[in-house]
Amino acid sequence: MFAEEINPDQVASADIVVGIPSYNEAASIAYPTNRASEGLIQYFSDKRGVIVNCDNNSTDGTRDVFLDTPTEVPKIYLSTPPGVKGKGNNFRNLFKKVLELGAESVVVVDADLKSITPQWIRHLGEPLDQDFGFVAPLYVRHKYDGTITNSIAYPMTRAVYGRRVRQPIGGDFGFSGRLTEIYQTSTMWTEAISQFGIDVWMTTLAMNNGIPICQAFMGRPKIHKPKDPGADLGPMFRQVVGTIFEMMIAYAPFWRRVKWSKPTAIYGFGLGEVEMPPPVNVDQGKLYQKMIEGFDDKLDLWRQVFTEEVFHKLGEIMTFSQDRFDFPTHLWAKVLYDMAVAYKKQVTGDNDTLVESLIPLYYGKTLAFVKKTEQMSIQQAEEFIENECMVFEETKPYLIERWPV
Amino acid sequence: MAKKKKILIVDDEEHIRFLYSEELADEGYDVITADSGYQLLEKIENEKPDLIVLDIKMVDYNGLDLLQDIRNKYYDLPVILCTAYDTFKEDMKSIAADHYVIKSFDLTELKNKIATALEAQIPEE
Repeated sequence: MFAEEINPDQVASADIVVGIPSYNEAASIAYPTNRASEGLIQYFSDKRGVIVNCDNNSTDGTRDVFLDTPTEVPKIYLSTPPGVKGKGNNFRNLFKKVLELGAESVVVVDADLKSITPQWIRHLGEPLDQDFGFVAPLYVRHKYDGTITNSIAYPMTRAVYGRRVRQPIGGDFGFSGRLTEIYQTSTMWTEAISQFGIDVWMTTLAMNNGIPICQAFMGRPKIHKPKDPGADLGPMFRQVVGTIFEMMIAYAPFWRRVKWSKPTAIYGFGLGEVEMPPPVNVDQGKLYQKMIEGFDDKLDLWRQVFTEEVFHKLGEIMTFSQDRFDFPTHLWAKVLYDMAVAYKKQVTGDNDTLVESLIPLYYGKTLAFVKKTEQMSIQQAEEFIENECMVFEETKPYLIERWPV
Repeated sequence: MAKKKKILIVDDEEHIRFLYSEELADEGYDVITADSGYQLLEKIENEKPDLIVLDIKMVDYNGLDLLQDIRNKYYDLPVILCTAYDTFKEDMKSIAADHYVIKSFDLTELKNKIATALEAQIPEE
């Protein structure tokens, strides 16, 4: 039976909230709930804490598992109405509840997290007591885990908004009550943001509202459900990338004045030996095949989107065999910048189709990245990504010149 | 006339401080130096440099720990790490720096990174 809110302990106010968004996570939600409770007790015992599950009216018993998980802190269950899904919609519920409770600090963690420890709550929450308003996670991730982050979300948010947040769509964040109010009152909301676009929306709003940002080292890898980068992307790609482009339109007066990028403060060291992430296997043949198939299919649309120079260069790289394939970073940066301009101009009249047309090129870029970093350690691959980001920053004048004023 | 940008060189090797001071002064910067991390935050508070060039491996101080202290107090103050070894990148604390350079007698890369870091700008809102 649907319940919009279940608040067994009648919690009316709190200092710190741990939010766990979910949809059908009965098999996994008990673990992060339990860890969150331990984290609040161990590190925030002087504060009134509460754990809030913001759910999409799950049908697999998530609600009961959450409420039945033994915790030493109170819990509140919230749900979107039947039929309303999406992580963003879950967060909207959470923002409203946080403001009702008057909480000054909020930590959110994914419901499928297997690697969360009580220290994660500390590291995402403690910087908020030190005048930081947004805390992003720093994990050790396998070099092939998070390819949308590595090739799109990180370089784009860094080059466009000027702040180096390595995991802008990490999914585990900390943010202040003040930032919650900004989130709640923002008029910038789309269908994509209500789904998987929510993470990049939250990070971008923090970057564009002068909020001091910190990155907190988690010590352990993010262990959730990583996928082969060549596997089907589902709607997530369109929602994340579409949100990036949508926000560029809203915040153009800001980012056009941003030059280069700056680092953030870092928090959370001294955790002892760092655990290495599990490997992620990549099917390079599948990436190559998907790229080629997409190329044949999207040519006409790309002709409308890309400059002649970029279109011509794409034609060149598509002739490379899998063994010799490469996708130069400056070309990839121009592809994304051209795509952002085309999105703003609505050149095709259907921006969803426009963003999805990027997918074959994303597969190609991922293939090139995998080939280049095959013999590299995780740390060497990180350095490679940092160098790619500098190329995005160096190419930014191209974006500014092409952006319609 | 535009005010000269002030650069603070923090390095426990005298010849490095001398070389960097001479060359960066020739580039038009106002250069001050420190031979250790001792009371570095106080020095920054008093001198108000526009940018810091920070040695990682000093005898008595770990540059990466100093970097954290600087970043926590001076959020956007540009810091360029200098080192003879690139193994420091294995320590994630290093990402709080704006840039890094491997020490060399050719300061072209350092000068370029200083120029970029000083040019970096994020509008207030």
